[in-house]
Amino acid sequence: MHIVVCLKQIIDPEVPFHLFRIDPVAKTQIRGSHPLVISSYDEVAVEVAIQAKERWGGQVTIVSIGTKETIQSLHQALAMGADAAILLCDPLFEQTDSFGKARILAAALRKIGDFDLILCGRQAGDVEMGLVGPFLAEELGIPCATLVANLVSSNGKVRLKRPTESGYEILEAPLPCLATITNDESNVPRYASVKGIRAAMRTPIPTWTATDLSLDAAALGQEGRIEIDEMWIPQREIRCELIAGESAEERARNLALRLRELGLV
Amino acid sequence: MASILTFCMGTRSSIPRSGLELLAVARSLSQQLGSVPVQALFLGLGVREHAPALIHHGADQVLLADHPCLERPEDEVVLGITEEVVRQLAPRVVLLPHDELFGGHVGPRLAYRLKAGIVTDCTGFAVQNGDIRWLRPVYGGKAMAYMCARGLLQVATIRSRAFEPLPADALRTGEIQEIPIPEAFSTSVTVVERVEAAEERGLSLDRAEIIVSGGRGMGSAEGFSILHELARVLGAAVGGSRPAADMGWVPHSHLVGQTGKIVAPKLYIAVGISGATQHMAGAGSSKTIVAINKDPDAPIFKLAHIGVVGEWEKVVPPLIRSFQEMRS
Ligand SMILES: Cc1cc2nc3c(=O)[nH]c(=O)nc-3n(C[C@H](O)[C@H](O)[C@H](O)COP(=O)(O)OP(=O)(O)OC[C@H]3O[C@@H](n4cnc5c(N)ncnc54)[C@H](O)[C@@H]3O)c2cc1C
Ligand SMILES: Nc1ncnc2c1ncn2[C@@H]1O[C@H](COP(=O)(O)O)[C@@H](O)[C@H]1O
Repeated sequence: MHIVVCLKQIIDPEVPFHLFRIDPVAKTQIRGSHPLVISSYDEVAVEVAIQAKERWGGQVTIVSIGTKETIQSLHQALAMGADAAILLCDPLFEQTDSFGKARILAAALRKIGDFDLILCGRQAGDVEMGLVGPFLAEELGIPCATLVANLVSSNGKVRLKRPTESGYEILEAPLPCLATITNDESNVPRYASVKGIRAAMRTPIPTWTATDLSLDAAALGQEGRIEIDEMWIPQREIRCELIAGESAEERARNLALRLRELGLV
Repeated sequence: MASILTFCMGTRSSIPRSGLELLAVARSLSQQLGSVPVQALFLGLGVREHAPALIHHGADQVLLADHPCLERPEDEVVLGITEEVVRQLAPRVVLLPHDELFGGHVGPRLAYRLKAGIVTDCTGFAVQNGDIRWLRPVYGGKAMAYMCARGLLQVATIRSRAFEPLPADALRTGEIQEIPIPEAFSTSVTVVERVEAAEERGLSLDRAEIIVSGGRGMGSAEGFSILHELARVLGAAVGGSRPAADMGWVPHSHLVGQTGKIVAPKLYIAVGISGATQHMAGAGSSKTIVAINKDPDAPIFKLAHIGVVGEWEKVVPPLIRSFQEMRS
């Protein structure tokens, strides 16, 4: 089975609130000195793909629309165990909305050709629209399963595990298909081994441009159906009342008393 | 006139709150856009008797599909019906709940098929010169944005609990119309098995008045057992942050946050949780948030109403004892 994972590189979403800055004109986060990382659900999707490869064989390819800096995240996915990675990079790709992104990824997948399963994160860790996965399935005209956590079997068709309110359900889908991935206890991403990292650095990563994918501005839907109009950092008003007390024990008691006083317990 | 169309999946026993929240959004939008009619598509099995309630909460017309195939429908069945209805009615705005079914599946695919602009996970809106600007958190809640969905049709998925349902007005009148459901839908992705968790999951987060939630700082499943004890004396439900859920210390259905449950209890006690915006997106509507954390600089002390600095090992046991003493 050939699994393709669509991976987005983002500015580390765990940067503390007081260091978080935006550019209100460009309507985007200012990177500053923050590291770039694999968007967290995409890292989970890489883990799911590698687990499937370990169980049933096959290969894992990573594709990402990004910049030269994205190569570092592609190396990380290779070091985790992916077989190949492709960077989709072109100035034309920079200003597209989710419709355009899906069209770029679809063109890359058609060029790859022999894929069986596409995995996307349930939503990117920055603007978090949760659109590109289902859009890509529509663009390619293939079935789409959403919010699944893992593969449970692969035999001409795939069976997918999807967490539910009260347990989980098993979905069956024909191949090729696309799944959007959410996290659960079965898919916590592994760390790359030192050996893996060394091998990854030697794996060549081809770059495909708009020309390679036969895409032009018209094909990328520059009409902009989804637009960010304004962005700002909200003020927070809560002032925290710290419970006093010499010892932890005393603070605990005072907390209990305060909560009773407020009628909360 | 092109309408605002809302969606609701009901059950025999109830209308989900989200269906009523969407109607509150629709009414307010309708007023600001100039008396646009509000239609509600109401799907499910055995839901007919609840249809008037949708009118009482703001719908002008209810389109009812009460059918056995809608008891626990496949995603693609709901997508198929939704697409059909939207094509026929040609509404101006489609409002969907931002849940797994509509936010994760139906909304995006519908928007793609109808070439509609879409904004997901909205928490508010503003109308400016007849244009709708959708408010939504971005960067895990660190920033807010107004987004526009361009096109003849626009789709918005609405975050749960971002809006209050309107009070029921039994005098409101409206029309209830049954819509036909095609007998057989072919689906490519099918549910072949449903597995209910065997373990006791305790009180559900949705109903609990008090939630005790633990994070990575609890260190282990054993650490979590003390939170269950605390929850027992308080009659509370137990939730957790993403690391706690990934580690299997709490079931994933008890994950609180942007990608888990959005809860609004009267008291939320967060223990060993740092207060990441993605977590607080789910807990932030609680009336009172209490944080117990050993790090006085943890971000949660800027987001909680009441804080206790200390290790949970030293704070939680005497806290449980104090509550027990208050009881007796
Ligand atoms: C796209 C995206 C979506 C996400 N969605 C969610 C979501 O829905 N829900 C969610 O929770 N997270 C979500 N996250 C993850 C989120 O960003 C944080 O990583 C996560 O919430 C941190 O969990 P935590 O507070 O338990 O752990 P940490 O941040 O590691 O904090 C642990 C805390 O425990 C304290 N501590 C340690 N030992 C003790 C002790 N003995 N006593 C008391 N305190 C102690 C520490 O001081 C620290 O503050 C998401 C992330 C992304 C990128
Ligand atoms: N630039 C990108 N390159 C590759 N995949 C992407 C990119 N942007 C989004 N995706 C994929 O689409 C998913 C959903 O993204 P979004 O719709 O932006 O929330 C991500 O988790 C990725 O799997």
